[in-house]
Amino acid sequence: MISINIRPDQLAQEMLDYSRKLGQSMENLLNAESIDEGVSPKQVVYQEDKLKLYRYDTPAGATPSATPLLIVYALVNRPYMTDIQEDRSTIKGLLATGQDVYLIDWGYPDQADRAITLDDYINGYIDRCVEHLREELNVEKVNLLGICQGGAFSLMYTALHPEKVNNLVTMVTPVDFKTPDNLLSAWVQHVDIDLAVDTMGNIPGELLNWSFLTLKPYSLMGQKYVNMVDVLDDPKKVKNFLRMEKWIFDSPDQAGETFRQFIKDFYQHNGFINGGVWLGGREVDLHHITCPVLNIYALQDHLVPPDASKALQGLVSSTDYTELAFPGGHIGIYVSGKAQKEVTPAIGKWLNQRA
Amino acid sequence: MANNTFFNDDWLALQRSYWDNWTAMSRKAMGVEGAAPLTAPWENALEQWWKALAPAAPEASKVFMERMLDQGKTLFQMAESFATPTGGTANPLALWTSALEDLQARFSGAATDQNSAAQRMLSFWEMPLDNWQRMMSSLSPLPGDALRNMPHDQLQDHLKRALAAPGLGYTREEQGQYQELMRCTLAYQTALQEYSGFYNQLGMKSLQRLGSHFQSLSDDKPIESARALYDQWITCCEAVYAEEVATPEYAKIHGHLINAQMALKKRMSVMVDEQLGALNMPTRSELRTVQDRLQDTRRDNKQLQQRLHLLEKQLATLLGDAAPNPALALTTAVPAAAKALPRRKSPQPD
Repeated sequence: MISINIRPDQLAQEMLDYSRKLGQSMENLLNAESIDEGVSPKQVVYQEDKLKLYRYDTPAGATPSATPLLIVYALVNRPYMTDIQEDRSTIKGLLATGQDVYLIDWGYPDQADRAITLDDYINGYIDRCVEHLREELNVEKVNLLGICQGGAFSLMYTALHPEKVNNLVTMVTPVDFKTPDNLLSAWVQHVDIDLAVDTMGNIPGELLNWSFLTLKPYSLMGQKYVNMVDVLDDPKKVKNFLRMEKWIFDSPDQAGETFRQFIKDFYQHNGFINGGVWLGGREVDLHHITCPVLNIYALQDHLVPPDASKALQGLVSSTDYTELAFPGGHIGIYVSGKAQKEVTPAIGKWLNQRA
Repeated sequence: MANNTFFNDDWLALQRSYWDNWTAMSRKAMGVEGAAPLTAPWENALEQWWKALAPAAPEASKVFMERMLDQGKTLFQMAESFATPTGGTANPLALWTSALEDLQARFSGAATDQNSAAQRMLSFWEMPLDNWQRMMSSLSPLPGDALRNMPHDQLQDHLKRALAAPGLGYTREEQGQYQELMRCTLAYQTALQEYSGFYNQLGMKSLQRLGSHFQSLSDDKPIESARALYDQWITCCEAVYAEEVATPEYAKIHGHLINAQMALKKRMSVMVDEQLGALNMPTRSELRTVQDRLQDTRRDNKQLQQRLHLLEKQLATLLGDAAPNPALALTTAVPAAAKALPRRKSPQPD
């Protein structure tokens, strides 16, 4: 039996230290400047409804790859995660490897966007972005990099339009939505999605945030804030922390009809595995994917467990299939120092080898 | 620490004084029965300090600071329960057993003194439930916890019987709608209590796990800080939580909660629509029909634009032109069509 030896004087000192740091944290928080959304310079090159297609500026003196790299982010949360701060930027890392980087920002759907369907996103918005790049840059194909749900979108797109995709990179992308360790999937099995969408119209971002936070509630809603007291007494770390905090709670509402189909087809019916996903009158079949595929997953991912991503290998027809396992979590794969050193350069190298 | 706006020596002195008194009173309590109960004045000091500063804090920082304060309280409330009044090594089994019994009494509702550390700690296990209530409050005209403490059991039986009676007379349809609203309300209350019950059970299991955890560790490494105790406690809570929420039973409780809330909201929307219709105002259901039709039209329009653009490119290829600039092609589409229109029309008789 372990002993507990917390003496009142020790506890008093610990409490005083905590209080002191809390005061300093408050001062640092109040002195923090406004938080930006992304750090790398970029230009809007195409715009449609609430969608913006950005091109990131090529670093001075660099010659970008002839094939553009289009990043397809998830509808959940905002894409500035990929460019969150100077020394933690996937975008910056990709630019450094010579990629010509484009990114789709979906914007914030409102009730007027409620009827936008999954087909509208895949065969509409994504396809028009790809068409824009093909014509503007006079190229046959683009490289796609799909992130999380955006990875699932990229898989659907590549399966339906294989002639337009040169290389496909998927990051923390769910493919098998019913692995035993997928809590989100287990929870949603008894949710009446039709009732939720018919009632709410769009699905509020707050509802999704609640779901994500309840995956690890005591760590994410409790311990995190105690840990922060140690971090925030350093003014340099305050702004970085606020950026992350802003991103976590910056959750757009989900267009109702898209949410309905995505949850039912994938989380409830496991559509990539079992089939039955129809978009624009065509069934999505991952066997139609023949281009080189780089599938990156995070070993400690509690949102998209590694097995959920690794299922891709048996489903595509690509003879050039590579996996990269990152020792970190769903967010760490973009923002950790280790990811900047390992993941982003690996993507650039993989793409350059297949240019 | 220097005096400044946010943090000053008075506050620290107050806390220091509290801890001195706490130590003295704890020692006294060893020999004197019925010593006065402690009511955590450091919490009050913390709250007073925050109340003075909160109005000046930006909204984003405010929410964040409140969370740090809340967790700070939890951290030290827990440590208080396990701290040894006279110093020296405590028997953690005895402390833990005592804390367990205390919390057990509170989970069952048998103990009611609101100021004890144990009572305040209960809120920790309810964080996910609290988060649900906050989230629903932001999406609903009703407070998220409006139904949580409403008496049910016997009252529900009476209400269900009353609601089973058919509507009568000219307003029977309206009566039926209100009855349906009440049924949905009762169903949501039941689902919420089922969900709340799950967290009560979770709290108990977490405490038991903490006890097992203590027993599994060697005694040459005593826990000497509130933070170490808190971290181990969180680890136990998360481990128990992860096991419990992975069960099919929890998936059903989770599904019931969301479905019941949605059914209630939908019923409210139907009734709001009825009222809007009576006032000859557009209803949500009408608006959705318009949204659906508009999206269909936009989709068709975009597909037509794409096809037109493709045709332009094919025409340019046939005419031997270089590949058209897409941006130009899109912008010139309208003038080209406008020019073509009169030529197509001209042969037709008016």
